[in-house]
Amino acid sequence: MKHASLHAALKTASALAIIAGLAVLALPNYWVFLITAVFIVGVALQSLGLVTGRTGMISLCQMSFAGVGAWVTGYLNVAEFPGGLVVWVLVGGLAAVPVGVVIGLPALRLRGINLAIVTLGFAAAFDTVLATITFPGQTSFTQVARPAPFESDKGYFLFIMLVYGLIAVALEFVNRSRLGASWLAVRHSERAAAAHGVSIAHAKLSAFAISAFIAGISGGLLAGYLGTLVAENFNMMQSLVLFAVATMVGAHFTLGAIAGGLMITLFPELLRRVGLPQDVGNVFFAVGAVQALSSGETMSETWGRLGSKLLPRRAGKTSAKPPPPLAAPSVHAQGLALEVNGLTVRYGNVIALDKVSLAVPARTVVGLIGPNGAGKSTTVDAIAGFLPRYEGSIKLAGRPLEGLSATARAKAGIRRTWQTTRIAPELTVGEYMRLAAAGIKPGEIEAVLEWFDCPSPETVIATVDAGTRRLIDVAGVVAARPPVLLLDEPAAGQSYAEALKLGERIAAVPEKFGSAVLLIEHDMDLVRRACSAITVFDFGRLIAQGTPQAALGSAIVQKAYMGIEPEERVA
Amino acid sequence: MNSLLASAVAGLSAGGAYAILGVCAVFTYRLVAVVNFTGAAIGAAGTFVMVTLYESGYPLAIGVPAGIAAGALVATWIGIVMTTWFAGASASTKAAVTAALLVGIIAVGLRLTGGQHPHSFPELVTGSAFRFAGVEVTRASLLTLAIAVVFTLVTEQFLARTRTGLQLRALSLRPMAAELIGIRVRLLALCVWAVVGAVTSFALMVIAPLRSPDFMSLSLLVVPALAAALIGAFTSFRAALIGGLMIGIIEGVASGLDTFSQYRGAIPFLVILAVLLWSQRGARWDEAR
Amino acid sequence: MTSLDIKGLVVNRSGIPIVRGIDLSARGGEISVVLGSNGAGKTTTLEGISGIIPAAGEVLLDGENIAGANAGTRARRGLRHVEQGRTVFAEMTVEENLAVALHPSANLDEAYALFPELVQRRGVNAGMLSGGEQQMLVIARALVGRPKVVLIDEMSSGLAPVIVSRLMSAVRTLADDGMAVVLVEQFATLALAIGNRAYVLRRGEIVYDGGCQALVRDPARLHALYLGEAGQAA
Repeated sequence: MKHASLHAALKTASALAIIAGLAVLALPNYWVFLITAVFIVGVALQSLGLVTGRTGMISLCQMSFAGVGAWVTGYLNVAEFPGGLVVWVLVGGLAAVPVGVVIGLPALRLRGINLAIVTLGFAAAFDTVLATITFPGQTSFTQVARPAPFESDKGYFLFIMLVYGLIAVALEFVNRSRLGASWLAVRHSERAAAAHGVSIAHAKLSAFAISAFIAGISGGLLAGYLGTLVAENFNMMQSLVLFAVATMVGAHFTLGAIAGGLMITLFPELLRRVGLPQDVGNVFFAVGAVQALSSGETMSETWGRLGSKLLPRRAGKTSAKPPPPLAAPSVHAQGLALEVNGLTVRYGNVIALDKVSLAVPARTVVGLIGPNGAGKSTTVDAIAGFLPRYEGSIKLAGRPLEGLSATARAKAGIRRTWQTTRIAPELTVGEYMRLAAAGIKPGEIEAVLEWFDCPSPETVIATVDAGTRRLIDVAGVVAARPPVLLLDEPAAGQSYAEALKLGERIAAVPEKFGSAVLLIEHDMDLVRRACSAITVFDFGRLIAQGTPQAALGSAIVQKAYMGIEPEERVA
Repeated sequence: MNSLLASAVAGLSAGGAYAILGVCAVFTYRLVAVVNFTGAAIGAAGTFVMVTLYESGYPLAIGVPAGIAAGALVATWIGIVMTTWFAGASASTKAAVTAALLVGIIAVGLRLTGGQHPHSFPELVTGSAFRFAGVEVTRASLLTLAIAVVFTLVTEQFLARTRTGLQLRALSLRPMAAELIGIRVRLLALCVWAVVGAVTSFALMVIAPLRSPDFMSLSLLVVPALAAALIGAFTSFRAALIGGLMIGIIEGVASGLDTFSQYRGAIPFLVILAVLLWSQRGARWDEAR
Repeated sequence: MTSLDIKGLVVNRSGIPIVRGIDLSARGGEISVVLGSNGAGKTTTLEGISGIIPAAGEVLLDGENIAGANAGTRARRGLRHVEQGRTVFAEMTVEENLAVALHPSANLDEAYALFPELVQRRGVNAGMLSGGEQQMLVIARALVGRPKVVLIDEMSSGLAPVIVSRLMSAVRTLADDGMAVVLVEQFATLALAIGNRAYVLRRGEIVYDGGCQALVRDPARLHALYLGEAGQAA
């Protein structure tokens, strides 16, 4: 979907160009000067939107990253480093990257609260350090020199707009890429992201690195804007306010970052003019952030929703031409696609799985059934690499998987779905398909979606009903055409008729896509329709294996399901 | 050597404050499952109510209880926000909410207290308690220590021995199961908030004269407080108590060493980083806090 | 006499309809058994009744609609939900687990009379109990709250048959003492043996509503309800 990225980027760029032109032509110097700050803050907000809004990691030290960039810019200015502000700002941004990565390192294992504490701690520590070492040139009042063509306030405004536009356009591309989708996926569920072969470490660190880079740039831009800086420009309170505003407006949206910049910059001005104390603004930001958190909807999303109500979009473009046919099925190794031998899993003293074995031949659908607590989902977790330890061996086409992480197993060709849908709702169907099936072609996306009766690629997941999301879930992993698919109750919550339909599609997956399927399902009619063989677990043990008819008819399976001895039944 | 000891002892009063705030953070997390970034700001609010009353001529006998009550009130108000709109929210969302509220509380606090404008802080306790190896140990530092220890012990006993304590433990172990056996979950949660507000307010009143006593600096004591709570893994009161004291003492020692004195504010961060990297070394996936 | 009547209950779980408009009743002194395979919506039904998750429809307790109240209020009105998974307070002793749920007019001896096994374990942390003992504890914990209605979810899962029979007879005792019991079970036989009225759920809809004995006498039908076509064929 390079097309969509290009389209959005052009829209953003032209909008910014219009704003810049109008401002320079129509507004007096004072206002141009003020609006310059809007976009510098906007850059900082975009950086926070990336790490917190998109990737879901609370960062309370964004202005500290900016401070690093500003300090380096100031240092290069005093040192009269060649290249001028443009180079200094870039170096400043780069200097913030290692800091961001170091702060992000603890985030590899933790997120949420602990990360919030680390980042707030860093902000406090940075305050202390900055207050001690002071900004280069702060005591001698050395002004940071602006680049030659942009020396005047209006000129600097244009420079800022240029930088803002570059960053915004770059982010449009990144956000629509697989990397951008992986950030949203990580925010929504790390496990689900790993199951798509996304490296969690890579996603998180890249988010922190890029975010720190952008924040560092905003610091450097501020240095050029104000000329001299003091530690207070970057203190903890500034970071906290930035966080509150980003949370309120949704800084990961193009509109949100600008709106947030406007509020932070112009609110104090507005309050000053009406004679109100300026810090009332912070109270407003706090309330707004709490409101956004409780409704789960940022201002940008609210405006978007209301906007789309007012201006109803042309109903999703109904492509006249039918989607291309499905590509030929992938060819994977013959023989056993998946082989599990003597798998034992313990949780403390409880044995969840006791030396179970199962096999899925290439290009077949095998059912895994059993009553509650039989260990079916545990089996899927073990195969897909989500358990810290297990005994026994799991082989993919003869190759042992032990020692491989969930991400590595997904890349090796084991894909799974979850009992509850874990698709990030902000993604479009197409973005999700590209996340699930890396490198898939646009035509193929449409073909697979058509085959599963799923909505068109531009549809946003959030607007899709939950039953359809389950279908998209399955469509995504099927489109990846891996050697082995693990489907964990794909029909949960669907009506009987829908479930049977899904069963027929799953039955056709090996022939159409070349994958082998291990299907966990409770609905025996669906199982019977989809599976050529089934394996039955009870209390973590294997109790039956064979064709659906034979296994379901066997006495031991009936007893497992209903506690009825067949003798009693006959009697 | 002696000067080092002197600076360590000087860090004791700060350590006592960190300990109380840390224990309160554990208290809040264990009983109402919120990592509270407003912990110290609540106390600051109570403290400044006391100071305002004192400056307008009221005796401490009125000012102190009024300040404690005000702290309890502010905390209860936050509790109402949390229980009304965020009862089912994730721990991380709740933390984000308190971080946002912190911005608002600091703004209101700075406005009402006149920013960095100096206030005359009454010293609730004055003078030196005794000399230890030639170093003055102030009564204020002993009092903060005592509050920290007493609050820890009383909390432990209360939770172990009273019916309300039992209900609080049930609530903290399994909130849903507690609600399903008819425990008044919301009322209890608000009580927890009120207690936290009262205790932190009193603690900050005692140590405010020893710090740079503006509203923001007091509110940002939440950083060492959360570092202390992390040492207790947000579960152990005693570990948080000791952790808070240690951070205070290390800070004291650092400020006694010329090279480090200006960087002592970075110590909580280093402690946080060390504790987290150590305690989370085995954790994986979203389930980690 | 106590009565619980559910009318038109609809429950969604993250947007997916799990329970699709069901009616269900329980009377004091009786056990209403709710059967169905995994994923049929049994647990979600109980959660909708007790108020754990929001639901549409009426929940009439002694004729009064309590569907607008939250879970805590419903509990204090006399509804006890014994969740699946043995939700003991693990770091509290057996006695503390019971004491925290004790109704002013009840006493701990009632719990120990129902499950004498717990007496010698009273000082032990509930997390250290066996699965069977934990299940006894959560049922006893519901009992000492003096409820009118008890909802019990999958108490037998993962337990040995001998313990399951023990639990089943205790549940019968609760009903005989006048409580209305809604018993959700996957294992049909034992539940039907102690139950009065039976419901079978399939994909969120009731596909059987009638006496327990009728189902016991017609096992082919039960099999069809559970295992689909294979059950009928066998």
